[in-house]
This record gives sequence, structure tokens and C-alpha cells, in this order.
Amino acid sequence: MTRSEPPAEPVVALINEFTKLPTIGPKTAARLVFHILNRPRNEAQSLSEAILAVKDRVGFCSVCASITESDPCAFCRDERRDATLLCVVADAKDLYAIERSGAFHGRYHVLGGVISPMDGIGPGQLRVRELVERVGSEATHEVIIATNPNAEGEATALYLSRLLAPLVATVSRLAYGLPIGSDLDYADEATLARALEGRRLM
Amino acid sequence: MRITRITLANCRNYGEATIEPQAGLNVFLGRNAQGKSNLLEAIGLLGTGKSFRTSREAEIVREGYGLAAVSADAVVRSGNVTLGFTIARGERTTRKTLTINGRAVRYAHFLGKLRVVSFAPADLAVIVGAPGLRRAFLNLALAQEQPNYYTALAMYARTLRQKNALLRSGPPYDEELFAIYDRTMVERGARMTLARAQYVQTLGPHARAEHLRWSAGEELVLGYNSAIGYEIGDDEAMLRERFERALETGRTRERARGAALVGPHRDDLTLALDGRSLAEYGSQGQHRTALLALKVAEYRAMAAATGEAPLLLLDDVLSELDPDRAARFLDGLGGFEQAFVTATHLEHALPGATAFSIEGARIARVA
Repeated sequence: MTRSEPPAEPVVALINEFTKLPTIGPKTAARLVFHILNRPRNEAQSLSEAILAVKDRVGFCSVCASITESDPCAFCRDERRDATLLCVVADAKDLYAIERSGAFHGRYHVLGGVISPMDGIGPGQLRVRELVERVGSEATHEVIIATNPNAEGEATALYLSRLLAPLVATVSRLAYGLPIGSDLDYADEATLARALEGRRLM
Repeated sequence: MRITRITLANCRNYGEATIEPQAGLNVFLGRNAQGKSNLLEAIGLLGTGKSFRTSREAEIVREGYGLAAVSADAVVRSGNVTLGFTIARGERTTRKTLTINGRAVRYAHFLGKLRVVSFAPADLAVIVGAPGLRRAFLNLALAQEQPNYYTALAMYARTLRQKNALLRSGPPYDEELFAIYDRTMVERGARMTLARAQYVQTLGPHARAEHLRWSAGEELVLGYNSAIGYEIGDDEAMLRERFERALETGRTRERARGAALVGPHRDDLTLALDGRSLAEYGSQGQHRTALLALKVAEYRAMAAATGEAPLLLLDDVLSELDPDRAARFLDGLGGFEQAFVTATHLEHALPGATAFSIEGARIARVA
């Protein structure tokens, strides 16, 4: 009977740290640690510096809650952006998805999630109060709600639309439709049905 | 519809196996625990994207491997199609990928491309088990027939979980949020109730007629027991009203219990034999006959609704019947395009069948 020897203590510690990250289990964590061990020191250094820089230099915009190096963020400071249009997104990553489209030139508001009692998230845990304050005090004409078209995203959109209706001229929701470049033949029936409901005049 | 080739990779006890099934009956013979049911399960995965044997889908991946895959070439009304199902077992979760002609698609789109009706001895639980099993039976059949049904069901189920979580969190409640969840459940739930009730009305005569062929004049009657009070002739708008009224009546009770008590998630498919509840009063023999009638009805209804005969998966069912009854059962289906049948042995060869042997996860065509 041989006694099994655990890996060196720093290795165990780093494996533990990695397993705290989403989607990473003990096996993947071990693979990452041994990969790092086999790489030059400067790579490990730039990795750890990049991680710290994210925490030290990046914060949340006090106006829209997007991630930024300076407060208020570039979107909120940019005078050329249409301040009468406000796009509400669940997360900062959704903001960048819309930004990449190049089709929106208004301001943003990041909720910090969607309403989901299953996960203990109600309107009070999101930046809903801040949204109401902004819409009430700024010159907003239209709020575009850009949450995902799933159960939580829909419920959040409905909740916000009821809350904002008395405060702003227009509350709109992103249209549902067919992906550009796709075949009708390949669209699932639900998407096609929603695209028909949301059809428009030509 | 039929399959012309199917390949399994690391599914259950299979390493890699490819077979070319023929039109008509395909019979797989082998001793127990050689891989007969696993093959049928794999075919079922391409139909419904879900295992008809387990809810712990990580089990599908072969021991010691990370990824299981099934793919098949099928001939359907709209032409030839290649369907794929892969499941990756991660350290904590599993991830499924569904493909049509090599392109990844959403579940709602995958459903219904290859329709299957499966029948195994364990299905007896549909007759005698909890109402949830009968709702699952209705859901799976309807999701294959009508893709929109699945969309309504998925949205309803998710919203129900959110509403239950909100109820469990206790007062003070966000009334606005309750109203939103109730509105979504009413909209989707009315559609589900109508689809299920109409489906049961379609199944009823098929099941009754088939049952009469097997029993001495006993009458099998199917019914749909709706928590919101569906009545024959209701349309969707009427059901929405009924649902809203039922929610109002049940509100105090729901809050006291901390659970959503109103809606199609509380419904049941009822089976009665000569006016008496089958599950409560029937003998085991009567339960089996009713299951057989129900499965034949499911098959015929799906063929009629879609204009295309679904694949038939019979796991260890024909070996329970003597040759005469087996022939009568197949005859009752009113003609099928392709069937997959497993058995440890058959007393008599089935006419026109293509035979395969399965031993230790190896499948071979028997001349």
C-alpha cells in the first residue's frame, strides 16, 4: 500500500481558486494550473496583472451602470448620442452586443440582471429605481426594452413597461424576427409566428 | 418517415455502431443487457431530443467518455434529412447539441422532424402512476405533432417555477409581478389546455375501438380533467376567462399554501373502463390492454395529424404477446412505414421482417 502524495500546496490553492469560476470544475482547473506551470513566468505575470487591472481600473458608471474606466462612462458623456432615446439592457455584455450593431445612437441603462424569484432576484435587486429616476428627470422620449425573449426577459420587460408607461411618451420592445441571411424553411415555428405578428408595412 | 442509416458513438454500452435499417419491421434479437433498449433509446433521442428511459441524461454517455453522439439519415416527406444529437458530460453539467443537416438548431426546431412513438413495458406507469406521467405522455405526443405546443409549454413551465418561487418567498408580495406571471400562465396555459383536451378527444375513439378488439366488450373511455374547468366546445378565449376566474378564486389558497395550484400543470388524463376508474379498479391484465390501446391510439392520431407515419419503437413488447396477438397488434396500427422491435426471442418469425442480432453492443444483420 503506497501513500498518495497531494500536489504542492500552491498548486492546490490555485486549483481551488479556478474552481470558483463559472463553468470550471476540478478537472479543468487542474488542466489550467498545469498549463500555467509549463509556461514562462512573464505569461503568468501578465495574466495576474490583467486580472487585477480589471478589478482596480474598471468600475461601474454611476449613471447607466455600464462598465467603464472613467465615471460617467463614454456613452453617457458623448454629447452626440441622442439623450431622448434610452435602451434598457439586462447586462453590460448585452450593451456591447447592441453597440456592435452600430444601429443605436442613444443612451443605455444596465439593469444588472432580470427579475427571477427562483434566483432571489426581484425588482429591488435590480437598478429599477435608478431607471425610474432617470426617465423622470431626463428628457427621455422613448425607452427601448432590450431584454432577452425568454420567460425572465419577457416578465422583466412587462414589469418595466407598466412602471414606465406614465412617465414617458413611448415604451417599446425589441422586435422578434428572423435572423438575417437565414432561410424561412429553417426557422422554427415559434420564431416564424412571432415574426408574422410583428410584420410591418412596406 | 424512416431511417436509412443510424450511427451511435459512445452511447451507453456502445462504442461505435452503424446499422442500415430497412423499411417495415426491423427486429433486434439478443439476450438481456446486450444493448437492445439502448439502441431504441438512441433512436428516440433523434425524435424527441430526450430519453424515454431516464431524466438523468448524463447516463447516456458511455462510462469513461465525455461525449455521446447519435446521428441518422432519414427520409421524411419533405426530403432527405440528417439529424444529430450529441451530449457532452461536463464535470457538473451536461450539454446537448441538436443538429439538422449539420447545423445546430434550437430544441423547438428539432422537435417533430423525426416523430417517434415508443412503447415499453415500463409505460404501464402511464396507466397506474401519478398524474404527472400522464401529462408527460400528452406533452410529448403534442410537442411532436405541434411545435407551437412545445413553445407554450416551455414558457408556461418556466413561468410556473418563477411564480412558485415568488409564492414561497412569502408576503409582502409584489402584486405587479404576480399579475405578470398570471397573465403569461393564462395566455400559454389556455392554449395548452385546449390542445390537450382536443388531443384527448381525438385519441378517445381510436383507443376505444382498439380496446374493443382486445377485450370482451369492455368500453374504454378517455377524458381530460382540467383544473380550470374546460368544457367541450370551449375556445381559447373562453379558456383564458375560465383560467382568470379560477386564479381569482384560488388566490387566497395559493398564498396560504405557497404554491401555484391553478392551471394545466394540475390536470390529468382519465381512463375509465365501463364507467369505473381504470387505475383504481382495473386488474393488471386490464391495465396492459388499456396501455396497448392508448399506444395504438397515439400512433394513429400522430399519423393522421401529420399525414406521415411516425417511427414505431417497441421495446420488449412483442415478446410478451403470442404470435397471434402480436400480428393483431401490428395490424391494429393500420400500416406502418418503419418499426424497431426488440425481443429476447420470438416464437415465430415475423413475416417480412429484417432481423439483427445484438450481442455485447455489436449489431449484426441476420440473413
